[in-house]
Amino acid sequence: MNNRYKILVIEDEENIIRFVKALLESNDYQVLCANSVETGLTVFSSHWPDLVILDLGLPGCDGSQFLRQIRLSYTTPVIVLSARGEERDKVEALDLGANDYVTKPFGSAEFLARVRSILRNNRRCCEEGMLPGGKFVCGDLTIDYDVRRLYLDGQEIRLTQIEYNIMALLSEHFGKVLTYSAIIKAVWGSADPGSIKKLQVNMANIRKKMSQKPGQNKYIHNELGVGYRMYTDTQ
Amino acid sequence: MNDRNKQILFDILRSMCILTLSFLGSLVVQDVWNARSLIPSVFVLAVFLVSLLTQGYVFGILSALISVLAVNFAFTFPYFEFNFSIHENAVSALIMIVVTTVTSALTTKLKRQEIIKAESEKEKMRANLLRAISHDLRTPLTSIYGASSTMIDNYSMLETDDHIQMLKGIREDSQWLIRMVENILSVTKIDNNNLALNKNSIVLEELVDSVLMKFQKLYPEQPIVTELPEEFILVSADAILVEQVLMNFLENAVQHAHGMMKLELLISVEDERVLFSVIDDGCGMTADQKKDLFSGRLGSVQDTSDSKRQFIGIGLSVCAAIIKAHGGQVWGRNNPERGMEFGFWLEREKVEDE
Repeated sequence: MNNRYKILVIEDEENIIRFVKALLESNDYQVLCANSVETGLTVFSSHWPDLVILDLGLPGCDGSQFLRQIRLSYTTPVIVLSARGEERDKVEALDLGANDYVTKPFGSAEFLARVRSILRNNRRCCEEGMLPGGKFVCGDLTIDYDVRRLYLDGQEIRLTQIEYNIMALLSEHFGKVLTYSAIIKAVWGSADPGSIKKLQVNMANIRKKMSQKPGQNKYIHNELGVGYRMYTDTQ
Repeated sequence: MNDRNKQILFDILRSMCILTLSFLGSLVVQDVWNARSLIPSVFVLAVFLVSLLTQGYVFGILSALISVLAVNFAFTFPYFEFNFSIHENAVSALIMIVVTTVTSALTTKLKRQEIIKAESEKEKMRANLLRAISHDLRTPLTSIYGASSTMIDNYSMLETDDHIQMLKGIREDSQWLIRMVENILSVTKIDNNNLALNKNSIVLEELVDSVLMKFQKLYPEQPIVTELPEEFILVSADAILVEQVLMNFLENAVQHAHGMMKLELLISVEDERVLFSVIDDGCGMTADQKKDLFSGRLGSVQDTSDSKRQFIGIGLSVCAAIIKAHGGQVWGRNNPERGMEFGFWLEREKVEDE
C-alpha cells in the first residue's frame, strides 16, 4: 500500500536531483522528477503531487510560467530553490503563489525542515477552517476571527485594526511567505511609496506587543527584504 | 544638467574670466605702465592658463584666436583696426597657437595617464585578491577531492567511523567554500561601481533577527548576548551585504577567538549613526596581526601554513569594502581586558512621522 506524500522535484542538475531524491525517499516521501517546466507540468497533471520543489535557476525557463499555470486551478504548495542574485525572481515567485523558498546551497536538515513544515501547515490550514467565524490555534497563539481578538498564552493582546488585519492575514496563510506587496494589497488595498514603511512600523509594534525578541521570534518571522511569515518550529 | 554639460559650462566661464582679466591687464600695462611690449606675453600667459585649466583642445585654441584678434585690434598698430600684414603680428599669432596646442596636448596626456594609473591599481588589487582566493580554494578542495576518492576506491577497507569522519570533513570544507564564495560575490558586486548596491530601508530589529536566525542554524551551541535599542530604527543599506558583514564578524569570533566564553552583539545609536559591535573574550590578536587588519593580508604573504588565517584577512577586507561602499566605517581592536571588538557604523535613515 502506497500512502506516502508525493513530491515533484523540477530540477535539471543531475547531482542535485540525486541527493534530493535520496534525501526525500529515505525520509519516506515518494519522489517524482522533471528536468524542465514542460515536463514538470505534464507530470503534475498526471500525478497530482502534494508538494512541488521548483528550481528558479532552470536554464531558459521561467519558473513563473509553472506557477502561473498551476495556480490557475490548484493550491498545491510550492517551494522554490533560488540562488543569491535571483532575489527578484524569488519575490516574483512568492507573489505568484509560491509558498516558501530555500536558498542554494542548502543543507539536508534545512531543506527537510522546510518540506515538513509546508506539508504539515498546509494540512492544518485545511483542517482548522480558516473561514470567517472560526478560531485559529497554534501553540500558545489563538486568533478568534469572530470577535477579532488575539490571545497569547491565554492573555489578550490588544491590537489596532490594521495590526489585527495583518495577523489574521498571516494566520490565514500560515506557513507561507507573504511578500510586502501581497500584505499591503490585502490590508490596505493599494500601495503607495510609503506603504512598506507603514507595514514595517506595524510589524514592529506587533512584535513589541507580543514581546518577541530578535532571534527568538516564536510565531512571526521576517524574511528580510522579502516579506513576513507566520509559522512555528515546534512540532 | 549632466556632468558633461556642467564641465563645459565651467570651462567657458573660466576661459572668459581669464581672457577678460588679460584684456584688462593689458590695458593697465599699456596705459599705466606704458610697456606695450609686454602685452603679447600677457596674452600668451592667458592662453597657457586656459589650456591648462580646461578640458581638451577647443577652449585653448579658441582663446588663442580671440587673443590674437584682441592684440591685433586693440593693442598694435594700426589701433582699433585689424591688420595682419605686419610680420610681428603673424609671428605672435603663431607663437600663441603653438603654445596653446602644446599645453592642451600635455594636460590631456596627463589626465589620461592618471586614469590609467587608477585602473591599474584596481587591477592589481583584484589580481591579488583572486590569487589569494584561488590559493585558499585549493586547500578545502584538496580534502574534498581526496576524501571522496579515497572513500570510493577503498570503501570496503575503511571503517564506518572513518567514512563518517571523512564525510564530515567534506561537509565542513564545503561550508567554508560557501562562505568564501559569498564573500567573492560581494566583492564583485561592490567592485564594479557603488551603484550596484541594492539599497532598501531595513528595519534594524529585523536585520538582527535575520542574522541571529542564520547564525543559530550554523552554530546552535554558541549563545550570543544581544542588545539593541528599543526605538524603531531604519537603515538604508543592502541587506544581503550588511548581513554578510555581521555574519563574517560573528563567524570569525567563533572560529578564531580561542578560549572565548562570551560572544556579544551590541547595537547602539549615536546621533545619526547606528553602531554595531561584535565582542568576544577570546585570545585577541597580536600587535603584528592588527597592523593590516582590513587590508586583506593577515600575517606575511609567505605564511601559507594556516590558510584559515588568510581567510580571516579576506573576510575582513570584504567587510571593510562593503561598509566603505555604504559610507560607513569598520574597526577592529583589542578589548582592554581580553578578546576583540569588531564593529562598524552606518548612517541611520530618518523616519518621517505620519
